[in-house]
Amino acid sequence: MNDETTNGARYAGTRVPRVEDPRLLTGHGTYVDDVARPGTLHACFVRSPLARASIGSVDASEALALEGVHAVFTAEDLNPGVHEQWYTLIGRDVPDTPRPQLAEGEVRFVGDPVALVVADDRYIAEDAAELVVVDYEPLPPVVDYATARDSGELVHADYPRNIACELAGLPVEDFPVFEEAAFTVRETIRQQAYAAVPIETRGIVAEWSAVTGEMAIWASTQSPHEMRLFCARLLGIDEHRVRVVMRDTGGGFGQKVLPMREEICIMLASLKVPGPLKWIEDRRENLLSAGQARHEHADARIAFDADGTMLATAIDYVQDVGAYPIPAPMNTCAVVGILFPGPYRVPQGTFATTGVFSNTVGRTAYRGPWQFESVAREVLLDIAAREMGMDPAELRRRNLLRRDEFPYTNHNGMPYSDVTPLDTFEQALEMLDYEAFRAEQARARTEGRFLGVGTCTYVEPTTDSLSLHATEGATIRIEPSGKVNVYVGGGSSGNSLETTVVQLTADALGVDIADVNTVQGDTAVTPFGGGTGGSRSGSMTAGAVEVTASILRERIAEIAAHRLEVSVDDVEVAGGQAAVRGKPETGIPLAEIASIAYFQPETLPPGVPPGLEASGRYRAQSPVIWANATHLCTCEVDVETGAVKLLRFIVSEDCGPMINPSVVEGQIAGGAVQGIGGALYEHLAYDEDGNPVSTTFMDYLLPTATEVPVIEYGHVETPGPGPGGYKGVGEGGAIGAPPAVVNAVADALAPFGVKITRLPVTPESIVALVRAARVREEAAG
Amino acid sequence: MPDIEIRMKVNGRARRATVPPRLTLADYLREHCRLTGTHVGCEHGVCGSCTVLMDGEAVRACLVFAVQADGAEITTVEGVAAPDGELSPVQSAFRDHHGLQCGFCTPGLVVTATAFLRDNPDPTDEEIRDCLSGNLCRCTGYQGILKAVRAAAGGPAAAEETG
Amino acid sequence: MKPAPFTYHAPRDAAETVGLLAELGEEAKLIAGGQSLVPMLALRLAVFDHLVDLRHVAGLRGIERRGDAVWIGAATTQAEIGRSEQVARDVPLLSRATPLIGHFQIRNRGTIGGSVAHADAAAEYPAIALTLDARLETLSPRGSRTLPAAGFFTGMWSTGLAEDELLTGITFPVRAPRSGFAVEEFARRSGDFALAGAAVAVELDGDAQIRRCAIGLFGLGPVPLRAVAAEAALAGRGTDSVSAEEVGSTAVAELRSVPADLHGSADYRRHVGAVMVARAWRRAVKEAGDA
Repeated sequence: MNDETTNGARYAGTRVPRVEDPRLLTGHGTYVDDVARPGTLHACFVRSPLARASIGSVDASEALALEGVHAVFTAEDLNPGVHEQWYTLIGRDVPDTPRPQLAEGEVRFVGDPVALVVADDRYIAEDAAELVVVDYEPLPPVVDYATARDSGELVHADYPRNIACELAGLPVEDFPVFEEAAFTVRETIRQQAYAAVPIETRGIVAEWSAVTGEMAIWASTQSPHEMRLFCARLLGIDEHRVRVVMRDTGGGFGQKVLPMREEICIMLASLKVPGPLKWIEDRRENLLSAGQARHEHADARIAFDADGTMLATAIDYVQDVGAYPIPAPMNTCAVVGILFPGPYRVPQGTFATTGVFSNTVGRTAYRGPWQFESVAREVLLDIAAREMGMDPAELRRRNLLRRDEFPYTNHNGMPYSDVTPLDTFEQALEMLDYEAFRAEQARARTEGRFLGVGTCTYVEPTTDSLSLHATEGATIRIEPSGKVNVYVGGGSSGNSLETTVVQLTADALGVDIADVNTVQGDTAVTPFGGGTGGSRSGSMTAGAVEVTASILRERIAEIAAHRLEVSVDDVEVAGGQAAVRGKPETGIPLAEIASIAYFQPETLPPGVPPGLEASGRYRAQSPVIWANATHLCTCEVDVETGAVKLLRFIVSEDCGPMINPSVVEGQIAGGAVQGIGGALYEHLAYDEDGNPVSTTFMDYLLPTATEVPVIEYGHVETPGPGPGGYKGVGEGGAIGAPPAVVNAVADALAPFGVKITRLPVTPESIVALVRAARVREEAAG
Repeated sequence: MPDIEIRMKVNGRARRATVPPRLTLADYLREHCRLTGTHVGCEHGVCGSCTVLMDGEAVRACLVFAVQADGAEITTVEGVAAPDGELSPVQSAFRDHHGLQCGFCTPGLVVTATAFLRDNPDPTDEEIRDCLSGNLCRCTGYQGILKAVRAAAGGPAAAEETG
Repeated sequence: MKPAPFTYHAPRDAAETVGLLAELGEEAKLIAGGQSLVPMLALRLAVFDHLVDLRHVAGLRGIERRGDAVWIGAATTQAEIGRSEQVARDVPLLSRATPLIGHFQIRNRGTIGGSVAHADAAAEYPAIALTLDARLETLSPRGSRTLPAAGFFTGMWSTGLAEDELLTGITFPVRAPRSGFAVEEFARRSGDFALAGAAVAVELDGDAQIRRCAIGLFGLGPVPLRAVAAEAALAGRGTDSVSAEEVGSTAVAELRSVPADLHGSADYRRHVGAVMVARAWRRAVKEAGDA
């Protein structure tokens, strides 16, 4: 643990206890469902039971007759209320995919919201929702995205062949290397649908005051300022008349980056009801309607020369975007293709990507939305290694980019910099003692036990600088007592941003951390900010705090210099005071400087403004900040039942210098366990008719404390181009874990000569692979 | 479907209310007592966020109707810390070991771990994992939680710490 | 996800309870711990106009040795059974199955009577009752009766209990000397319902010959099952002449209508069922041999 970092910071780099914890540990957090406004009404959606149908009449008379029911809204009532509907993150003029508020004319997935019931409480609202009679005319659904391009049916009439978006580089036929190389591996790799599944579901309270023309919103969101802008445009209200508050959000992981259809409906309906309107999604709705991610496949290939040097990569990638993707899917589709070569030295190649509609829940952002580039590449590399008779670690070592090769531009034109893939790879192997594990594995096999090791090494773009994310602001008030309040957009959604900001501010102003407080998540009092998304919060808020604190440091120094009768350059601001450099005994406490600034403005030096309050805005210095990591997993497979027990899980991560190692490791662990869930357990599945079959926590299997291994961390700290050298770390865990787990299982099963190309790796799939291998073996005699 | 009068003691305070039979204990605590620390994450008894002590036993408050708790003593997460705000050993350990991130599942885990350690003061790691397996967390990967419970039990959690 | 409205009854004794059941008919449902019922109500998979709560009904709780059997009151919680030294000593199979039920918060509320009467084919207690030839004591307005576990489970979530009949207690035979017991189940995660489970009770004679054995299967059909043909084939054989794998494959060979869902096909469950039987068999025989 560092007490003092090289730049004199006292708190950055240390495991400062979280400032969020006391309230959250004692039940005093404020999540959206905890907000109790007088006269609140409660909403419940009537949802489609069919994957695809045309909507006939909607009869709400019985529901409306129920005591305690205030209104039942249909598309006719709500949808015309839309003024403008677009996300700041994406932009007004970027082509978007269809997104009605309530379903109009046709329902397009099971769970599609058709009507909205408003009642005195949620119990009554659910009673009433059951009484709304919707006349559906069933239509043949397009359930399987993989065959949707050849279906005669269309999810949206305006999208021929059900294609939502397409982007392609040169045709793969232009690369004879795949035919001519000593060895080319080619497989179709498939990933199942799974989702963010925060333990707090979505929710919103919208309170419209017709008298003042003001809208107040409390929401479970990762981006209160995006929600405010969005709501203002949606309803045609001036932005400054909309206030969005989020104190505590119970996890988002991408799902709560943008307001979705249900939140939009609540905003629209709130104008039409006589009180604040609350909608708290229940778990079934969350698994039915809050979106899927990860449902995709690719025909991927890698060409090698005889010694295992990578010559070319190509991927033809297809993504299920569901019926109503949020946001429009082009970006993640493209990134999967572009990043497929990953952190390897690959001189040539190409990609093609396609997003395809289906009559299932829409795709939504989820932690590392492009992670399939790593799944496809890393699984393929292990298959190649086994087929070439090489150790997979040796194959990677030969091809991973070295530190001295950066900046490096991959064959799709993507430039990487400030990353250390080979370093993290070697560190992870060393932490395991790879050779010792291989020896143990060999011993175990002689006893009929099957151990395996798998890795994944990736580079990850963090802290993008596009539109909503281009800047981040901070306001710092040194109050008249000398205590500090720092205001950033932020908000607590699990990423410890309050602690981070307090740490950074205490360092930037040279004050005790106990003297710093932060106010976040309320658009009425915090500067505009992009919110949590794209692994940007650490770097961007660090920039915002530094830009702002530097204004105040300068002002403090000027006031102190004037009082001490020395040059400003001779003043040092540290330890809660301003003093002549090297003479701390001359120090004027910050409280005294604040008192001068606020109460004795006549004594201020000329040109120095009164007060000790400043606002600043940081602009991202580079298009993205690259981070990288290696995940390494070992496991034992019970080939009789197909059970997988994870033994060790090592993550070597380079997210630059760490502001708070506990926060970094918490992000890594959380992401990695989500990835373990995706590799082994979680599946948002549909049957052939488009009925979802995992809409409870009995069927949607989140990992529990008994399924997860101890996660071990290794850190490589290479500064990035941003403030403090900090890089993003929120998403990576969810990228690296699935391929590492899949490769570990495949390695354990290597004696059977099996190939795993389909996720999730269920016990049944393992038993089937082993059985098939045994049948092959017997047939071969 | 007549409403029913119920009395219970919640965090030491006597409460009396007339409630519909279908009101869950979780909703009673949240809506009627305004004790919103008991969180509702699934409403079908899997996630454990709503765990409270009912006559000292950890139970899912979403799987008990308030009328079934008539006459019971209930302890919610709000009743775990000392009246002066000092965190309990379990709460302190969660803070010391990064045992929470978004905090939504935390009340259920604090109550669960409190009951578990009261009855199993010297648990093995396997027993700790088994005890926690009825509470879902989506942020921490359980790493900090496992360390925290081990530490609250007086075990060598520090040995597992890295960095 | 809120339950539909219902009228709540909390009768004081068993007679009042069955009187209510008789009066209210199929619109009424008994609730004990509610750990299976309340989720179904919350999801509105089940809707009842009346819930009759057993919480005040006297005489339904407790664990007692009665002759060569152990009586367990229907409203005794799984947690109480899990803690009972008497059960651990006299009915070890029941004791060993208990930690496999859900999670400890569930076991604090869930009752043995509720579990057996709910009759989930993948649950542990119904299968254990069947394996150990437990006897089920009931009360209805027509009086009390005792039913054998065999034949009690009549279909998915249905039993031989009449609409107005209350399960009051369950008696389990005390273990015999030279006997061994094991339960094995396979679930995707700890605490989940088993995809396949097996309970084995085996009693040996002095020459390590199988005097009798019982193989219970759960998660492998619409009801908990006994592998009757496999049991019959094993009686009288020496344990050394029996391979556990053979026991497993014989036990599942009898299975018809194995369930299938997202978590496992019928074929896979059957396969894992055989593995579970084999593992339970091995452990039970070893324990009997060591006894």
